[in-house]
Amino acid sequence: MLKRHSVLPGFSITLGFTLTYLSLIVLIPLSATFLKSATLGWDGFWAVVTAPRVLASYKLTFGAALTGATINAVFGLLVAWILVRYDFFGKKLVDALVDLPFALPTAVAGIALATIYSSKGWIGLFFAPLGIKIAHTPLGIVVALTFIGLPFVVRTVQPVLEAFDTELEEAAASLGANRSQTFRKVILPTLLPAILTGFALAFARAVGEYGSVIFIAGNIPMVSEITPLLIVTKLEQYDYAGATALAVSMLVVSFGLLLAINGLQRWTEMRRA
Amino acid sequence: MSIEIKNVEKSFGRFKALKNISLDIAGGELVALLGPSGCGKTTLLRIIAGLEAPDAGSILFHGEDATHRHVRDRQVGFVFQHYALFRHMTVFENVAFGLRVRPRRKRPPESVVRQKVHDLLNLVQLDWLAERYPDQLSGGQRQRIALARALAVEPQVLLLDEPFGALDAKVRKDLRRWLRRLHDELHVTSVFVTHDQEEALEVADRVVVLNEGRIEQIGAPHEVYDHPATPFVYQFLGDVNLFHGRVHDGHARIGETEVELAGGPDHPGSAVFYVRPHEIEILRDRGTGTIAAKISDIRPLGATVRIELERTDGRGLVEVELTRDRFANKGFLHGESVYLQPKRLRTFDHNSTLENTIGSGQFIAS
Repeated sequence: MLKRHSVLPGFSITLGFTLTYLSLIVLIPLSATFLKSATLGWDGFWAVVTAPRVLASYKLTFGAALTGATINAVFGLLVAWILVRYDFFGKKLVDALVDLPFALPTAVAGIALATIYSSKGWIGLFFAPLGIKIAHTPLGIVVALTFIGLPFVVRTVQPVLEAFDTELEEAAASLGANRSQTFRKVILPTLLPAILTGFALAFARAVGEYGSVIFIAGNIPMVSEITPLLIVTKLEQYDYAGATALAVSMLVVSFGLLLAINGLQRWTEMRRA
Repeated sequence: MSIEIKNVEKSFGRFKALKNISLDIAGGELVALLGPSGCGKTTLLRIIAGLEAPDAGSILFHGEDATHRHVRDRQVGFVFQHYALFRHMTVFENVAFGLRVRPRRKRPPESVVRQKVHDLLNLVQLDWLAERYPDQLSGGQRQRIALARALAVEPQVLLLDEPFGALDAKVRKDLRRWLRRLHDELHVTSVFVTHDQEEALEVADRVVVLNEGRIEQIGAPHEVYDHPATPFVYQFLGDVNLFHGRVHDGHARIGETEVELAGGPDHPGSAVFYVRPHEIEILRDRGTGTIAAKISDIRPLGATVRIELERTDGRGLVEVELTRDRFANKGFLHGESVYLQPKRLRTFDHNSTLENTIGSGQFIAS
């Protein structure tokens, strides 16, 4: 690395600290999982991570996480929009409410959601006659993952929207654009990088979520069993190598997806520089 | 297209931004709204554009009531002080925006859009920047792109809100001359807001001076400069020296000095006399109608020299501006005792439009 003169001091110290810190907190624990799973050998590893019950759990975990993050991207944008653009009674309260899913123990959230969305619960009650079961189905998992991911998009979009210059909207209007054109062509492209960041965070959080999901999912093998639950099950059976093998496969897929989202976000930001 | 503004009022909360404004702008005219910050000039411009709605009064475009017409239907081009370019679009797409958002049946085909955008970029002499993004341009270039974008929709009226306010002095000067030439070429009715009197006087056909939500004076640049209607206009359009004194028996009395007010009306009582720095002569001998003073500072400013003097009667500072040549001839020195002879004294009588001029001895009612 070239040493360049800079007015900002301490490059080598801060970089050294960052690398040590990341190694202790992230890299070493993660490589330990890789090492442990390696004890299975390639064939053993492959057999574990491609078992039918495991494959079904991947589909559910990543599918529900993507669905939840997508719902959050749309409605999180709406919540952020309302919090930034309008003044109404109790706005501060609503604003504080957004962060609650962060503060609540996820098990509590899971039990509450399972109770309310069960076919006799306050909300599930209205869906049951329509033949829609929420609790103990994949739909329930999506509800739980949407709940825990809510703050991410709101909190990433909010500051960008606050900084958004209303003159741009006025400029678009004076050039003849209607509201929907202004939103699609002027506002949305500006917010897109922030929305993608929020989406990626909500997705990453949802993939790893355990506590809230196991209470509402019903955990039926092949139907509503998430991968993190399979990992815990293997741990309970003292199958440590099998558990780490699943963890490694999840890590690789998640990393790939996050990398893709980051790339997409980079691309949307590049277009303006 | 002509614009008529009739009895427009606007308040923000308890603050009255505009108080009963009426103004006619003829088709093809270039008008400057001039005033200090907070005088309501930008609010008035935004009301003309339809970005703000007046509390009372009406706006007529070409004789038709446009008060309640939406900004996107008004056919106005609006240029913002901070450009308001779309950062995620290229320069080309920025200029094309107004054409691309038209309703489908009125939208021109791609080839026409291309041609038109390139014509406009040529007009603002920036065709070579078509594929760049706004962040890659300088301030002056961005403002010219913003203007091209506003012109793309073929506006009936062009409105510019402090268009050169964020640019440095040199670019500002170039751009305002360029705007004047562009207007002479296009003849689109234009209104621009500025707090810079030099800019207003140089660019506009007519200047509207605003203060605290009211129109102080409307007139051609030389009219408002030479015959200011109110003390505010006088002070806003240039540097000024104030002399407190009395008018008595057709004489102006300033301190110990008595000056003849030839031909002027006799308004006995105390008065304030206004003199511009370049309208005062510095003499070495007493002469007539002079005020004694001592030179306290000499500052060469390019083509002129600014001299600050302290009145010997202790009634404040006076600023005088001399040309370089004149200063070199006289060779005034710091600390020298001299006599000041005002060449043009103006008084304003309780917001009236009366004006006294000493020397020429005229009495002008404007």
